[in-house]
Amino acid sequence: MSPSRGFSLIVGATRHRSAIKLGIRRPGVRCLSGFAETATNPANKTQVYLSRSTDPYLNLSIEHFLLQKTPADSTVLFLYTNRPCIVIGRNQNPWLEVNLGLLNQAADIALVRRRSGGGTVFHDEGNVNYSVICATDVFNRDKHAEMVVRALQKLGVDRAKVNCRHDIVLQPAGDHEKPLKISGSAYKLTRMRSLHHGTCLLSSPNIGTISNYLRSPAKPYIKARGVDSVSSPIANANVSNEKFERAVMSEFKAMYGGDAATEVHEDVRLVPEVVKGESELRSLDWVYSQTPQFTFSSCPTEEDSRPRPQLPVDIPSKSHISFTARNGNIGHIEIGAAEGSRAWANTNLDQQLHAIEDWSQVVGMAGRSTAESSAISQWLNNLFGKVKGGP
Amino acid sequence: MASIVRTLRPVAFRLSARSSQAAAPSWRGASASVRAFSVSRAVQEKKYTKDHEWVELSDDKKTGTIGISEYAAHALGDVVYVELPTIPMEVAAGDSIGAVESVKSASDINSPISCTITAVNDLLEEKPGSINKGPEDESSAGGWVAKIEVNDVGVKDLEGLMSAAEYREFTEE
Repeated sequence: MSPSRGFSLIVGATRHRSAIKLGIRRPGVRCLSGFAETATNPANKTQVYLSRSTDPYLNLSIEHFLLQKTPADSTVLFLYTNRPCIVIGRNQNPWLEVNLGLLNQAADIALVRRRSGGGTVFHDEGNVNYSVICATDVFNRDKHAEMVVRALQKLGVDRAKVNCRHDIVLQPAGDHEKPLKISGSAYKLTRMRSLHHGTCLLSSPNIGTISNYLRSPAKPYIKARGVDSVSSPIANANVSNEKFERAVMSEFKAMYGGDAATEVHEDVRLVPEVVKGESELRSLDWVYSQTPQFTFSSCPTEEDSRPRPQLPVDIPSKSHISFTARNGNIGHIEIGAAEGSRAWANTNLDQQLHAIEDWSQVVGMAGRSTAESSAISQWLNNLFGKVKGGP
Repeated sequence: MASIVRTLRPVAFRLSARSSQAAAPSWRGASASVRAFSVSRAVQEKKYTKDHEWVELSDDKKTGTIGISEYAAHALGDVVYVELPTIPMEVAAGDSIGAVESVKSASDINSPISCTITAVNDLLEEKPGSINKGPEDESSAGGWVAKIEVNDVGVKDLEGLMSAAEYREFTEE
């Protein structure tokens, strides 16, 4: 149970052996085969990987490769840290979960849709993700969150505890304080193999600003199928990434045994399945068009009777716009001057919402190039995070 | 290679099945000439997989319905979204045809047998809770997942599945 031992022993021992083996067939791709062959080798019942890439799309693709390709009875730990990104759940709506305008202004924050369920989270360099893959037969939602809690407790984070949502929180010292979430869990279950991954906020410098990114201005107007996020007050555990990684690997080893961890570098892109998975995750089609059906309506409707915030002053108060998007594609859209009046436009648009660069093209389609339509376009651009500011 | 084998097998089975049906239309006759049909008496009976899906075929064994079991629906907890396949979709036994989300988990739904998905239960997308209320209900208000077309390979896949009684025993283990 010496944490430093596991860490310092990270070497590609198996990589060397398999490279020789595979070198006979394909001498040009020796490095990659180390990872792919180690991961798929039926003899490797316990596997530990530590990613040295901070690319969220690549890390999620490596994780999915491990879910699909590791032996059916193996247990796998994968640790990775991503550059700043917002990660939505499999069945979530980016226009509802994320302030896309703010995200577009911060050019270095990626928007990612993962394959597991659950809600939206923020990652950065002060957050380490852990992922445990095991046989579906022995899957349990809390087992590995408890493993991480033990790791945190050994690092002096005594108040860490798994709550009823399978998240890790810091128990408050006083009776009147709320628990603070440091780690969120999500799961992907397939026929033979299941994955539990979780975030762990250790030293994120963005704790104070994260919630701004997760507050969409379009939310009051959208009624969506799919999964809502549950927002929680968050905190850092205040331990270093390296100490956390070592402690988690040590707890994993205590449960499953196994050898030292294997480092994974960006050359893992030589594995065809990993590249394919990465480009799928990166595609706008996956990020946006996989959104469950939703309806946008600027005014209360029968189906969505919530009172709406007041429209900007330069938009006539009786104006309304509504549309339904299926697979991120706007079908029927209605743009009207007054409730009950003849609509300016009442048509089948058949256009991907994320591909609309400027709403004036759509609103202008209604045939009224007036100050009103310009005000409406600008308002929609702001809601969907397209054009900043405006005239 | 495997895909070539897969495309050849159904043809072979279809031929042998057709000839046997022409000779002896009863199930007894079919079972005599084609081993695969030795359990055909039980074909229209609802069958279950170890992964907790069910399949029920029509009398002519050409079409059917699939869904998840009561046991699975209970174990999943509150389902908040059901991801359905695009149709038509040709799948082999065990292939993923969609997923249900509950308790932060996206769980694959797998096809119990080889088949072509010809229709999906749109109600599940609108009211995902229907799958909790009646996962084995095949009515328009029920929580069934998909309608399927089956060929002889699919019918043969049934042999490996459990009867309701066997499945009950399996889940009580």
